[in-house]
Amino acid sequence: MLDWGKVAFFWAEVAQNFTRNVAMALTAIGTIAISIVLLGVFLFLRASFDTVMKSVVGQVVIAAYLRDDLKQPAIHHLTAMLQADPRVDSVRFVSKKRAMMNLRQRLRGQMNLNVINTNPLPNTIVVHPVDPANVPPLAAEIKRQPGVDIVNYGSGVTEKLLRAEAVFSAVGLSIIVMLLIATSLIMYNTIRLTVFARQREIRIMQLVGATRWTVRWPFVFEGVLTGAIGALIGIAALFAAYRSLVPKLAVNVPFVPFSMSSVPVQHLALELVVVGILVGMLSSMLSVSRYLQTA
Amino acid sequence: MIVFRDVSLVYPNGVHALSDVSLSITRGDFMFLVGSTGQGKTSLLKCINREVRPTEGEITVEGQSLAELRAGDIPFLRRKVGVVFQDFKLLHQKTVWENVAYALQVTGAGSRDVLRRVPRTLELVGIAHKSKMFPQELSGGEQQRAAIARALVNHPLILLCDEPTGNLDPETSSEIMALLARINAKGTTMLVATHNQAVVDRMRKRVVRLVNGRITRDEERGRYHVGLG
Repeated sequence: MLDWGKVAFFWAEVAQNFTRNVAMALTAIGTIAISIVLLGVFLFLRASFDTVMKSVVGQVVIAAYLRDDLKQPAIHHLTAMLQADPRVDSVRFVSKKRAMMNLRQRLRGQMNLNVINTNPLPNTIVVHPVDPANVPPLAAEIKRQPGVDIVNYGSGVTEKLLRAEAVFSAVGLSIIVMLLIATSLIMYNTIRLTVFARQREIRIMQLVGATRWTVRWPFVFEGVLTGAIGALIGIAALFAAYRSLVPKLAVNVPFVPFSMSSVPVQHLALELVVVGILVGMLSSMLSVSRYLQTA
Repeated sequence: MIVFRDVSLVYPNGVHALSDVSLSITRGDFMFLVGSTGQGKTSLLKCINREVRPTEGEITVEGQSLAELRAGDIPFLRRKVGVVFQDFKLLHQKTVWENVAYALQVTGAGSRDVLRRVPRTLELVGIAHKSKMFPQELSGGEQQRAAIARALVNHPLILLCDEPTGNLDPETSSEIMALLARINAKGTTMLVATHNQAVVDRMRKRVVRLVNGRITRDEERGRYHVGLG
């Protein structure tokens, strides 16, 4: 059962250590805050880049041009069949009459289409996929349907776009993982130094009869608190930078392909706090264990 | 109460600290461990609170074999065996009160118990008026009194003192030894490692001499050197 008296004692120990070793506590918190800022900037950039890539790739559609001899019931059947496909998000039918109207509208003032007596444009089914990665196989299947003449989905360009997205995603993830390891090591070493400075204290605690967990808990609580405060300061700095920089960047460098406003910043902030707390807690536990003697 | 049977201790670096030590200390005894530096006095004390494990032989404290203790039991042994060091080993970031209270709090004592026992113990060792000061603000003698208070607050059965007067002037040394004698008179078994000849000769308690880790003399109401006085 949880012993609240002991929990209160541990927190009192943490508070005492924070207030009496201010310089050391601030050093650890500062280092964690800087690490969190670094990690946060990269997580933010990656999330922005991902959003841009997804929106670009998300614009890929399949246009199925139908033969003129395909009758209305067959067109309905084909549309219904595509709508029922789980890989398909939405299906839109564009009649040849509507296609001509659209073309006339687009070319108004540039070209006189009245000279053409017939309508050479085909009836078209426009398919929006759920996942752009499914576009090539889906297009191939549509092409095999009777009455479908030509299927266009920007073949070649789409595949390149999909490959580029996969490469960028993998590279981004590797950078984040490496950065996570590097910042965790920086935080671990900082906390280890603060524990190292108190190894005499740990020894004395054990000599007066403290159990290993009685020695360990205040350090673990301290690690959690250091990690949380460091992360919150880091996040506050990131938010301040975000609020002042993003609107300026959007106005001054609109060509930069980062979608700043569509990134889930609250979600990122939560991730950073969790990283700070976890690394703080584990670093403290590992560091104290090094100096606890079992003899 | 404390029994050593053929105890030998060899450190991992090959140093023979104790050789075939057999010793019996009854409850309430006051015993001096004498001998020059490096003869094994501190090692013998460290065996009793399980800071080190003998490589041979057996030690029992209150009938409990120390070899059979699991790592998790050691803190509970240490609450029965108080230790006082030459360098005091006080926690510098805690006040005198907090140093003494800490030894009590780690045993799970409630705040009412702490508020009752800490001032009483500080009173006993004569530094109640310095309870809010930090160790570095005290004299050597006062720091040693604080360390004794910390060792006493859990009412230990045994008090191990490793050169308790080693860093103190003669007058303060006498005061500290008088304090230890008073504590012993209340029933606490006392083992004092020292090479303070004046103190040993004046108190005339049991004297055990160690030379190269072996007991060469064990004498009731003894003196520091044989054949004097």
